[in-house]
Amino acid sequence: MSDLSAILSFPPDDVAKLTPKKYDDAINRYLQRIEKLPNTAWLRPVDKKNLLEMLNPEVNSIPYMVSLAGQIKAAGKDWTKLEILLNYAVIFLATFDPVQVRYVGATWLTVLDWTLDTLPQSSSCDLSIIASAMLRLDPTLGTFTSTHLRFLRICLEGGVPSHALPILDKNIYAMATTPPKLMADEFLCDDLELSNTYITLKSGFTLKIQPQYVLEYYLIGAHIYLGSRNYARARLFLEYVLLHPSIQHSISALQVEAYKKWVLVGLLAEGKPYPLPRTHDNAVMKGVRDVSKPYDALADNFIKRNLSKYRAEMDIGTQIWHEDGNLRLVKEAESALLRFRVMDLQKTFAALPIGRVAAHAGYPPDTTLQWVTEMIRQRQLRASITPNGNGNAGDAVLRFHHSTTSSSALADGDLAAQTQRIEALVAHVRDADRRLQLTKEYVEYTKRQKRSGPDAADMADQMDLTWENNGAGIMGSAGGVVGMDEDDGDEDIMGGF
Amino acid sequence: MTAQGIAPSPAKRLRQESSRESDHYHLPPPTFDLDVWVNNYEGFPPHLLGALLPLRLAHVAIHCPTLSRQAITLAISHAKKSKDVRVYIRLCDLAGQFGFADLGAPDLGWASKQEEGNKRELSRLEGELRGYKNNLIRESIRMGQEDLATHHLITGGPPPDPATVQSLGGTGYGVAYQAFGKMRDYCTTPTHMASMILRLTYTAILQAVSAQQQGSTARHHLDLVLSNCSRLRTCGVKEEEQVKLNPIAIAMSGIAHLGQANYHDAASAFLSTPIAYNLLGPVHNTDFGRAVASANDLAIYGGLCALATLSRQALIDRVLGGPFRAFLELEPHMRKAISLYTTAKYQACLDLLRRYYSDWSLDVFLGVPASSIGSASHVDVLSAHIREKSITAYFSSFSEVSLASLASTFPPISSSPMAMEEELLSMIDAGQLDARLDVVNGTLVAPRKDLRASTHEEARRAAEEVERTLLLRLHKVNVAMAGLEVPRSKTGVWEGHGQGNGLMY
Repeated sequence: MSDLSAILSFPPDDVAKLTPKKYDDAINRYLQRIEKLPNTAWLRPVDKKNLLEMLNPEVNSIPYMVSLAGQIKAAGKDWTKLEILLNYAVIFLATFDPVQVRYVGATWLTVLDWTLDTLPQSSSCDLSIIASAMLRLDPTLGTFTSTHLRFLRICLEGGVPSHALPILDKNIYAMATTPPKLMADEFLCDDLELSNTYITLKSGFTLKIQPQYVLEYYLIGAHIYLGSRNYARARLFLEYVLLHPSIQHSISALQVEAYKKWVLVGLLAEGKPYPLPRTHDNAVMKGVRDVSKPYDALADNFIKRNLSKYRAEMDIGTQIWHEDGNLRLVKEAESALLRFRVMDLQKTFAALPIGRVAAHAGYPPDTTLQWVTEMIRQRQLRASITPNGNGNAGDAVLRFHHSTTSSSALADGDLAAQTQRIEALVAHVRDADRRLQLTKEYVEYTKRQKRSGPDAADMADQMDLTWENNGAGIMGSAGGVVGMDEDDGDEDIMGGF
Repeated sequence: MTAQGIAPSPAKRLRQESSRESDHYHLPPPTFDLDVWVNNYEGFPPHLLGALLPLRLAHVAIHCPTLSRQAITLAISHAKKSKDVRVYIRLCDLAGQFGFADLGAPDLGWASKQEEGNKRELSRLEGELRGYKNNLIRESIRMGQEDLATHHLITGGPPPDPATVQSLGGTGYGVAYQAFGKMRDYCTTPTHMASMILRLTYTAILQAVSAQQQGSTARHHLDLVLSNCSRLRTCGVKEEEQVKLNPIAIAMSGIAHLGQANYHDAASAFLSTPIAYNLLGPVHNTDFGRAVASANDLAIYGGLCALATLSRQALIDRVLGGPFRAFLELEPHMRKAISLYTTAKYQACLDLLRRYYSDWSLDVFLGVPASSIGSASHVDVLSAHIREKSITAYFSSFSEVSLASLASTFPPISSSPMAMEEELLSMIDAGQLDARLDVVNGTLVAPRKDLRASTHEEARRAAEEVERTLLLRLHKVNVAMAGLEVPRSKTGVWEGHGQGNGLMY
């Protein structure tokens, strides 16, 4: 029974009144205490009931989790037992106390991983529970962990990519790294604003991250967004991959894949490839493009709105698209090309008979009428069709409307939300900047600058001043690292890495 | 013999063009009288630098059937007065192609005698030059070189040698150009330099015209004209001499820009030409006003280029109200056309321009094809520009115009019923006309702009862009800080990229 009291000794009754420091002390003491407990203490039933029945996962998160992990290990491959445990795990993941688990990240990860593995085999295959557990641990979900990728893969394997959307929709603000030492007055249990202070490589919440994990995460994410027709987001994810820094201009195959998709997404969304992001690495981009020539050729014909040539390219490269897994995208771009050809007409015409649209698109009038109607229905085209009395499809009139659409109230809301997003982002940029200033490389760089004489230092200061005065001054004076203006003075700081 | 390969080209083009119902070779008679017109361009001294005149007349003969005979007769008689045997033979050939049998038979006796004389003169000059070179007197060498070059210029240079591969400038006027260029080493004063550059400029223009007439491109020669013009402005002569050189330099650079179809540059060059160009008289023995283009010509060139490229306000301020007005007074109809345009009487303006179409097309600088592809001459291109500008300006004060009324104001050039619509469509596509076509009602509609909504839209886009950029850069920093860059490939340098220069990008 003493085991049980030890297990239940945290949290104390007055937990709400504890200062962070006292809470921190208490939880550390508690952890030392339960470490000494024999393994059996976690497995043995209490009052003929499972220990897990006694514990409230919301309050006693740590013991619940430790016990769960222990029982999972003991259960081996006994499926009936595992299924029971899975229920407990689901309950736990839905209700655990996010602050307590920060102290035992490794165990948390074990439970989560196990659940992730077991869930698809069980009858109910609701992966959203994992997503909400991740969100519970880190509401901003701003720190990249190995779980991100694992979860995404399992979602894909399970055929439920949409379950990954809550995770994908959150922007990554930091990578899990070796932590900087906590400030003296900061504790794990503090109400920390940024998740990267408690999700670190040492916290146990993540495995060691490899570059390809990040690339793969974004690439899969882009796939999922493509599937849900969220082109803006897909573009962002693909550009993450494309702009992923590399050492000595080496190129990842994933980047090549991303480029191919990126070209096609541009065609689908805007009718032309997106402009290259300004901060791309020329050598890398050249290498990537060298092996993606067929896609550039495709894009060329698309821009020229040359349907027949596009089709010819498409047919001749079927093998290529198929091998790259882009065949469907390429086909979709074909119908997009047709759409853009009609949309281009509204730059020139205010109204015209369907017959002329048909002649322009190279289709018989009645088919044309059909898919133009379809385009209007899908709101890809702002226009209306007035059928002619004689029932001749070619004589129906297509009249384009003015493109000013959204009501101003809606637009205001949009803008406000956007502003909020950017403000939140700026906070994270500031944080990244601060972290950057704490790195050894940056300190050395600054030292070098200082050593090269007062003149040089003055010049640097001056440069920074002008930089701030540019109006984009969201960064500290030394950290021209991430900025919205085009001044790429940041690159030489980055060069230190 | 020498005329082989050169003479057939105008006639060949003639046949091709006429089959394509282009009217470039069947221009109606111009408003001017050919004899009076020719007087404007009599070289001074007549035989020294009058080489452009036969070419000019040949241009008229080729393009205007009514004046053909008169022009070719004049041209031949001028050519016979000169020493250029090959131009003479070529002109006779041309006359033969037009079916003027009496003119087509060249005076072979004269030709061989002149040829002989030219050769004798050439070897005399070369001998003299050798002598000067032995004496090492720079000024004599310079003059000897100049004499030799001038001889090449007026005789049309040595004939092409069929045995050797024809190199650039190896024959014809190119030799003269090079010979003038050789004077450079012996020029001791800026005045000498200026005199040499003037001759170079003239020769380059002559080369350009002759190249165009033979159906090849004149771009290279016009580039030479431009570079010589800028040298002319900075050759360092005294102020009072420079004042005489500047009008020539500016006007000739304008002609070169015009020839290269840079109408905007041409307009600004012509507009800044000092009126001193008129009645400038010979400068260093060359009267550009007579040999190349008169002040009246400049008024036309400048007026047309300005009308085609400048805004209405610029036309009022810089053309009608600026120093160029002095030129326009020489050609009142050009001035009238511009003032009609500025007062929005587009129809009258275009009618006026059409009336002088023939005159201008017969000009040797305006009437040549504007580009190597297509047969549209500079006059055509400029008129089309002016027409498009007029339509745009006319439409700017309406929100909706019916095609019928537009067609009555601006009668379409071709007679097809879709002509007006097609023209408008091509203008909209080219971005010159901000309007939409309502084919059903037959109207041209001005786009309605909702400023507030478009500003909103713009702001939204900008904000999205900022967000995206911030995220991308944040990603970059994070990756770099976590050491998650794409690592160096283990199999060495990847397809030749990223040479290991020891720097990590």
